Amino acid sequence: MSSVAPAMRHVRGFDVARPLSIGVLVFLMLPLVFLPLASIFIFGTSNGLDKFWAALTAPEAIFALKLSMATSFWATVFNVIFGLFAAYVLSRYNFWGRNALIVTISLPTAIPTAVAGFALLLLWGPYGTLGRLLTPHGFQIMFTAGAIILANIFVTFPLAFGVIKPVFDTMSHSLEEASATIGATRWQTFWHVTLPSLRGAIVSGALLTFARAVGEFGSTILVSGNLAGRTQTAPLYIFAKFNEGQIEAANAIAIVLALFSFLIFSVLFFARDWLDVD
Amino acid sequence: MRKTISRNLPFLGLTTLILALLGGSCLPKSPGERGDVTITLYGFSVMKESLEKAIFPNFAAKWKQQHGQVLSFQSSFAGSETVTNQILRGAPADIAILSIERDVQRLQKDGFVTADWHSLPAHGIVNKTPFVIIVRKGNPKGIKDFSDLARPGIRLIHPDPISSGGAQWSILAIYGSELKKSEKERGEADAGRALQTLRAIWRNVISTPGSAREARTTFELGNGDALITYELEGLLMKEANDPVEIVTPQATIFSEHPAVVIDRNVTSAERPVIDAFMQYLWSDEAQQAFVKFHFYSSTNDAFNQANTAFGHIELPFTIDYFHGWDKAYPEVIEKIFRDQVQRK
Repeated sequence: MSSVAPAMRHVRGFDVARPLSIGVLVFLMLPLVFLPLASIFIFGTSNGLDKFWAALTAPEAIFALKLSMATSFWATVFNVIFGLFAAYVLSRYNFWGRNALIVTISLPTAIPTAVAGFALLLLWGPYGTLGRLLTPHGFQIMFTAGAIILANIFVTFPLAFGVIKPVFDTMSHSLEEASATIGATRWQTFWHVTLPSLRGAIVSGALLTFARAVGEFGSTILVSGNLAGRTQTAPLYIFAKFNEGQIEAANAIAIVLALFSFLIFSVLFFARDWLDVD
Repeated sequence: MRKTISRNLPFLGLTTLILALLGGSCLPKSPGERGDVTITLYGFSVMKESLEKAIFPNFAAKWKQQHGQVLSFQSSFAGSETVTNQILRGAPADIAILSIERDVQRLQKDGFVTADWHSLPAHGIVNKTPFVIIVRKGNPKGIKDFSDLARPGIRLIHPDPISSGGAQWSILAIYGSELKKSEKERGEADAGRALQTLRAIWRNVISTPGSAREARTTFELGNGDALITYELEGLLMKEANDPVEIVTPQATIFSEHPAVVIDRNVTSAERPVIDAFMQYLWSDEAQQAFVKFHFYSSTNDAFNQANTAFGHIELPFTIDYFHGWDKAYPEVIEKIFRDQVQRK
């Protein structure tokens, strides 16, 4: 499944379809993916490496990157644990409303991220439906890092779940049943039998969620307050610098994010054999 | 030996990645001094440089000297209407410097500003600047006034009036300038000609970014032949050696920028330092700093002479020409611009 299965040969001798197809594939990807990515790298270093380095080491830039990492991390932890739990419940139990729940879990990816941020503000903001009850007691999550984590949780909600549930669905019950017959408790079965089979799905779900959360913009810009050095994540920083006309600074951080995503997906790809467990 | 390493490499790679992510899980401390007192100021887009480079550090130094407290500033900048909307939704601003008086009225209406802000020095106006046209170096399209922007083939960058206060000033500048010129030429203001010019100019707009600063960035990236903006933006662009020229129209409006305290967000403990900062904005030191950043002072005309880069405007006017924002907004921005220019 993960290695190349050689195509059946239609033609004896030289098959022109092969270089042609490969060429068309690369050619199509050039203007759509390769060149935009390359232009970030080329522009970022064209004004000299010293300016590039200065932009990277600006305290607000470093803060923005760290904030993105931290908020994405906690959103990922929550969504993976929740995804595991939800996949278990929705895969093992049948109940009225089960399908509606599965659809609802998948909804957040279809909603425009700006709408998601706006909805959170309407609910939890100082003048929001629930927020106005909490604010007098001193609890106000909007315009803090907590709001960014909340927005990330919403937007990346179905990602880990979507990777873990199919594994649950296709998992053979026989191992779990065997474990139960020799006297293991529900938790022991889960921890020693079920979880190891999910190892790959958990890791790839987590990395997917994390990568998506780091790049989140539309909801974050609404709920965070976008205060540089306080609640400004890396994508917000890039946008702010661009609007201020400081293109080099925006570019430097864009390169960091691009490299980071490249790293995540490279690791996912090269570790795919280890991640796939029968 | 080799087989074991290569088999474990992906596992090692994953573990390293996950550990690195775990290490980054702590929420970072914000850079800069964590002061004893923090003032949060939300401003319209072009205020950024003068505040962050001069006003904030100078006032913080003064306050430290007089009271021994370390002051830190948090600031956020966007189009004036956007800033107002953020504050209305609960953004934690203590002070707001806005582009148009109407935004202050919106904050007053919902109870965010309760004090009588007109009682502040200079009626609450902290600085002002005329509206000009920015063109490419050498002025290849030969633009000399607003009416030239109505020529077919001119591509104009103009911020979005829904989110930018500067955009609304610009519309008033165009409309008012035509009225003023027809007044001078024929003795009475020709509203029909003003409407026609505004319509023709608006047909040439190729992009409406969300704030004056965003419009400047769009123009700097090579889009469009002309940009209507605050004169100070043009002068900042020239200071940065951008290949641009400033075209000063014959008649144009002086935009006046109010500064207000968001009373609802300020606790009584913070009140003294907030009030002190507000008073500082109208001090000679602050006003002269504004002039250095190409604003006109609102307190003392003499300061303006220190800046030799200001253009000469033959027929200047202010919002009073339209009898204040209370009349200008419904009559010009809504009835004329929104209903007759945008919707056609």
